[in-house]
Amino acid sequence: MTEFFVSLGMAYGAAWFLATVLGILLIALPLMLAVAMVIYVDRKVWAAVALRRGPNVVGPFGLLQSFADGLKVFLQETIVPSAANRGLFLIAPIITFTVALLGWAVVPFGPEAVLADINVGLLYILAVSSLGVYGVVIAGWASNSKYPFFSALRAAAQMISYEVSIGFIIVCVILWAGTFNMNGIIAAQQGHGLGVINAFVVNPLLFPLFVMFLISALAETARAPFDLTEAESELVAGYQTEYSSMSFALFWLGEYANVLLMCALLAILFFGGWLPPVDWAPLYLVPGWIWLFAKIFFFFFVFSLIKATVPRFRYDQLMRLGWKVFLPLSLFFIVINSGWLMATGHFGAGS
Amino acid sequence: MNFATSLMLIGAELGLCLVALVLLLLSAWLPRAAARVLTIAAASALAGASIYTLALLLNGTAGPDANAFGALLRLDAFSAVAKLLIYLSTFACLVVTPSFFERRGQYRGEYPVLLLFNAVGMSLLVSATDLMTLYIGLELSSLSSYILASFARSDMRSAEAGLKYFILGGLASGILLYGMSLVYGFAGSTNFDAIRTALAGELGTGALFGIVLVFAGLAFKISAVPFHMWTPDVYDGAPTPVTTFFAGAPKIAAVAILTRLSFSAFGEQFAAWQQIVAFVALASIVVGALGAIGQENLKRVLAYSSINNVGFLLIGLATGTAAGVSAMLIYLAIYAVMTLGSFVALLMLHDADGVPMETFGSIAGLAQRKPALAWALLVLMFSLAGIPPLFGFYAKLVVFQAAVDAGLIALATVGIAASVIGAFYYIKFVKVMFFDARPSSDARAEVARNPAGHWSVLAASTVLLSPLGFLLTPAMERWAAAAASALFLTA
Amino acid sequence: MIQLFAFYMFATIVILAAVMVILARNPVHSVLWLILAFFNAAGLMVLVGAEFVAVLLVIVYVGAVAVLFLFVVMMLDIDVASMRAGFVRNAPLGFAVALVLLAEMVLGFGAYRAGGLALGTPAAPSQALPGLSNIQNVGALLYTRYVFLFEMAGLILLVAMIGAIVLTHRDRRGSAARQDIARQIGRKPVDATVMTRPKVGEGVEL
Repeated sequence: MTEFFVSLGMAYGAAWFLATVLGILLIALPLMLAVAMVIYVDRKVWAAVALRRGPNVVGPFGLLQSFADGLKVFLQETIVPSAANRGLFLIAPIITFTVALLGWAVVPFGPEAVLADINVGLLYILAVSSLGVYGVVIAGWASNSKYPFFSALRAAAQMISYEVSIGFIIVCVILWAGTFNMNGIIAAQQGHGLGVINAFVVNPLLFPLFVMFLISALAETARAPFDLTEAESELVAGYQTEYSSMSFALFWLGEYANVLLMCALLAILFFGGWLPPVDWAPLYLVPGWIWLFAKIFFFFFVFSLIKATVPRFRYDQLMRLGWKVFLPLSLFFIVINSGWLMATGHFGAGS
Repeated sequence: MNFATSLMLIGAELGLCLVALVLLLLSAWLPRAAARVLTIAAASALAGASIYTLALLLNGTAGPDANAFGALLRLDAFSAVAKLLIYLSTFACLVVTPSFFERRGQYRGEYPVLLLFNAVGMSLLVSATDLMTLYIGLELSSLSSYILASFARSDMRSAEAGLKYFILGGLASGILLYGMSLVYGFAGSTNFDAIRTALAGELGTGALFGIVLVFAGLAFKISAVPFHMWTPDVYDGAPTPVTTFFAGAPKIAAVAILTRLSFSAFGEQFAAWQQIVAFVALASIVVGALGAIGQENLKRVLAYSSINNVGFLLIGLATGTAAGVSAMLIYLAIYAVMTLGSFVALLMLHDADGVPMETFGSIAGLAQRKPALAWALLVLMFSLAGIPPLFGFYAKLVVFQAAVDAGLIALATVGIAASVIGAFYYIKFVKVMFFDARPSSDARAEVARNPAGHWSVLAASTVLLSPLGFLLTPAMERWAAAAASALFLTA
Repeated sequence: MIQLFAFYMFATIVILAAVMVILARNPVHSVLWLILAFFNAAGLMVLVGAEFVAVLLVIVYVGAVAVLFLFVVMMLDIDVASMRAGFVRNAPLGFAVALVLLAEMVLGFGAYRAGGLALGTPAAPSQALPGLSNIQNVGALLYTRYVFLFEMAGLILLVAMIGAIVLTHRDRRGSAARQDIARQIGRKPVDATVMTRPKVGEGVEL
């Protein structure tokens, strides 16, 4: 995009600046729209599983429901509890929301369509997703109320626990791809399955990791069945209990943006990102971002179905699963994967 | 760099690591009662490591060129001798440990594992020729020491000792690291020889700061004054077998690396650090001698005694000569035996319920109740005081001789004066045991029986410290001289 | 130009945040300032071209260590007023430390004015491998020259882990919270339920 502005006769610096700002807007605005629609989808899927109708009043098929909700909370008054730590209370949702957007900077929507094509792209996502917990923890503490506080403690422990196994799963993918660059990882998946299928997931050594990643992603984004941080039967609404109006909406937007980011990560790491599912020339005529969106949407559907059908874990079970099942398993798979790759000479001789 | 050679040179550490890892797995799956078996396995691993090191030393593999992993560490005569001392004193500690914890139902398989990792850390430390190896070895050894100090976790004093040791040790590591980064910044390398070359000539303020901070960090580890505050509390609070260990091997390792660092990395800056070491030596001797006088608790007395002894060790370092270093090594070996023996004797002083007798009051009249123990303690205490026919005298003699030869007459004089003061509390032990009346009608004050392991360690150290020990002097002198000259060969 | 601007921004925020860590009265605020300092230090790392170190700093320190800090500090019930009560008593010590620091600074500035510091230059072999990214460079060194230290650092972490478990682990066998998943799944309805047909008015004998 920078070249385009340069060709219009702008100085390079200004062109770069303008292109970056435009790129950010091009990602953030559709993302917000997507979040609104995805909340609608979530509710529809949930309703369908429960044999209800779901939102169907505002707009055709209730499509505009999320916008109506957004308008409603926007017009509400922001209430700050008198005993709350005012500054931090208001900063917390902003942190959640900002951090949720930050991760999208390195997500590639096509071979060239990525805002920041950095070497350490995947590590960057890992870093940013580990920041997400601060919004929740600060919100829980600053509310000065006991249920939000419990929720904050749970969130801190839960996210750290699952980050560990996510990190190890990512290491395995990196071993196969040989790079931390997101586009490089996608490129490495071209024709990975028997020269035909563009996905790591068909690799028998990576498939179990995909399953683990899917479950860890649920835990990392605190989605059901791991939504212990806002378990309504125990903690009212968890860290969101004291929030209202826009600050509440920011939490929601951030949360769903995070879920979408995790879906995108699943698509990129295991399902070939913007590559078509099969390595067949006519499929490449469809633009890459459509494939990516389709995959993200598929995973979101899976997330919704899980939310609608799986009962919530108990907290000690959640911890047990993270530390005593996923951590040893993911370590075991690192050994298996790297051993296999060494044995088959994947890294080249004498590098 | 030849990888196979490197692995061969660190064979002892490698073996200890492997054994420790296997034992760790076993201790996770086996019942708690198996801890004693694991201890025996760990002790045999230490014995094996000593034999391996001894073999490398004797067949000449351990030489000034025996660099492993591209000069990260070196197995010369100095490190081999230090390693032998470390392995043997750790071995002795393992022998006397289990029964103490078993009486309290606290013994677990992790204890020997931690001790093995500690030994690995210490032997890395003494063979380090690079600041990074030094730090890694130090941390490996310190971290397991912190855990050992609070191993009796249900005991408040043990937990307190662990916490205190951890916090102050962390601070000392920070100071050391800061000093090392300054030294690296001014020398441009972390390798000892390269630092020596780079720092030759006049010393800048920054590099001097670095050297001082490095010395301060290591002075904490050897509990030299003014970084000794933690010693009495930690020695007192930690379980006695752990204190036995602390007073021996880690101190040997820290003194050894301090010596190696002084001569190979900062060898050109002798003038800069000699005053520091001389001051620290003097202060340690005086504080160690005076601090013990008011103490009633035997462990605290011995803690001050170890501070005092560190001062004598540092006199050897302050001379800056090969003879001084060799005298220091001899002192180190004899000190290890003395401290081991006296703490083992302390360990054996407990009643039938396992309640330790840790005060002067409780050992009154010990000579009538347990003459063998009392006489062994007499030998140990007189040896610590440096009273002539005993071997401890020889240790002090060589150090003072080296100091006088190097012209540090003032230092030697103060040292001798302070050791006369120090003799006060060593003799107090003897006076209380032999001449004080046994507390009347105190049925609980009966010293219980002790396992053969304790007796054999105590007997071995007593025999070594008796005048019979002088038979060993030729061998000791030869080895100490070889080790000391290894340090100066590299210079 | 932009680098210079970024450097001054990151550096200023690092220093300010570090000062606030000490000045903040509330320990939770201190931790949050510390996180800000970490974050901006990562920014400085990016500026010197060590993007791997920068990301690692964020992942490890901001993402894990500081979260645990916060976790612990949040649970402390610290009465700020009582903490400040000892101020007068400790003031002389504080002044002494301040005096030492002042002396050091004067010395430092004096040394600085006396001439440039003779900073060392890194030894030749640690030059970066050309054409490779940061991560590959770090990896190439870590797994060849420093492989031994790398493994030993792993041992340190293992010891820390053993320590945490030895000092805190309690055997919970027999407590209600312990869950044996295999037993739970392996349980059949016949093991746990009884079918009875009580007559009217007689109740059930259990």
